[in-house]
Amino acid sequence: MRAVVFDGVVLGLQFGLLGVGLTLVYGLGGVLNLAHGQLAVLGAIVAALRIDAGASTIAAVLTGLAVAGFVGLALDLTLMRPVYRRVGEDRVLLGLLLMLGVAFIIDGVLEWRYPIEALSLRIGGDPVDILGVRMRTGSLLASAIAVGVGVVLVVFLRYATVGKAVRSVIQDEEGAQLCGVSPATVRAFVFALSGVLAALVAVTRSMTSPVNVNAGIDFTILALIVAVVGGLGSVSGAFLAGVLLGIVNTVSAHYIGTYITTIVLLAAAAVTIVARPSGLLGAGRE
Amino acid sequence: MLEIAELSAGYLGEDIIHEVSLAVSEGEAVAVIGSNGAGKTTLFRTVCGLLRASQGTVTFDGRRIAGGRAHDTARRGLAYVPAARHLFPEMTVTENLDLGAYPKRPQPARRALVHDLFPRLAERRRQRAGTLSGGEQQMLAVGRALMSNPRMLLLDEPTTGLAPKLAADAYAALEALRRHGLTVLVAEQQVPLALGFAERGYVLENGRIQLQGTSAELAQDPGVQRAYLGIA
Repeated sequence: MRAVVFDGVVLGLQFGLLGVGLTLVYGLGGVLNLAHGQLAVLGAIVAALRIDAGASTIAAVLTGLAVAGFVGLALDLTLMRPVYRRVGEDRVLLGLLLMLGVAFIIDGVLEWRYPIEALSLRIGGDPVDILGVRMRTGSLLASAIAVGVGVVLVVFLRYATVGKAVRSVIQDEEGAQLCGVSPATVRAFVFALSGVLAALVAVTRSMTSPVNVNAGIDFTILALIVAVVGGLGSVSGAFLAGVLLGIVNTVSAHYIGTYITTIVLLAAAAVTIVARPSGLLGAGRE
Repeated sequence: MLEIAELSAGYLGEDIIHEVSLAVSEGEAVAVIGSNGAGKTTLFRTVCGLLRASQGTVTFDGRRIAGGRAHDTARRGLAYVPAARHLFPEMTVTENLDLGAYPKRPQPARRALVHDLFPRLAERRRQRAGTLSGGEQQMLAVGRALMSNPRMLLLDEPTTGLAPKLAADAYAALEALRRHGLTVLVAEQQVPLALGFAERGYVLENGRIQLQGTSAELAQDPGVQRAYLGIA
């Protein structure tokens, strides 16, 4: 049982990191990025291609992260501009549809050009005993990265001047403008950051199991569930929800079967929406 | 310092204010008085750049203010305090104040000035803005605007939702700000308070300037007395 829960925490930290980018982009501008998982896979495949071409793992991974971040930034500066000019439901709907289209395009291009490409990082070293449970080094490194990035993000949002500016736009966009914060600049920055974070999840995921070109949709759905359960716009909420859902996932997979996990996760999301429509934690609090 | 010329603006293609012209010189306190729906908020939102003008111009310090770039206006020293306040409810009083100084670091001297002016804010510095009373939120909105060391303050109905005693206190605080050399344009429904504070005023009705003059002249005007001062 303890091993199952540990596996759940490892998985859940990845879930959390996956939900963070989606939740911030939504909190800032009401755009639900349905291409979030595709950006993650894009970064992973770029890294895999660089490794095939003989680049070092670190350099390949950094290139993958940079490409995903750059594509995120480019999407914000082009496709998302007309979206942000709209208000209310109009904005949410147009953002949803445009990003769904982007998801199809990235999926299509990757499967067409690189159908058998996959990123699989082997982390050497013997398993380590933690509280009597043998953990693979890949799992530990992936978890350490997720925890480290999560802590840096929360500290950044809570204490850094730019981090406070991000939260101010989430809490009151007009108030932020009156303080001299440019919502457009903040959104572009966060969209790029969210691309980098998405790709980082694909990279850490590949330390325990390969990430294929068609993994995008699964990443996107998981990110959506995590962000909704955690409360759209809340970084700590995304991590909390990620860990809880990760444990739910591995426990149900272990005692019932892997076929049930997606159903259980979606049910958990549905219950949260009914019981606490704004998610576990409030937007922009940190 | 601020010049508004033939300004028209509104929402969804429909103008709410029509060809409004007014001017405020450095160091002056000027009031815009008018009832609910007269267009005061639309006027102020256009002046600070939150709303695009359909025609006419706003010039602050010799430079045009373009619609849709309110953050630039704020950084240039024209601070707008909206009637709806637009605070950051999940942040503490101090965090709200600090953001007022964005993108610069908050200066301790400015914070001390705001705390002097509104001692309540100093007492509640760790409290979340969303949990403050209406009067305290108003103080915080003004305090946040002051953190950037602005040269001019646009105040939209600073007494909304305040008890009479607190409304009088708010104007006492504004008097103190004026002694610091701040230029103020204030929109107000509580006309006696506004005319007591400002040197000059404009009467805005149905989106047009109907009357202008010194505060004494406006207070003597039969129309103003009937509509706003409760004198038959």
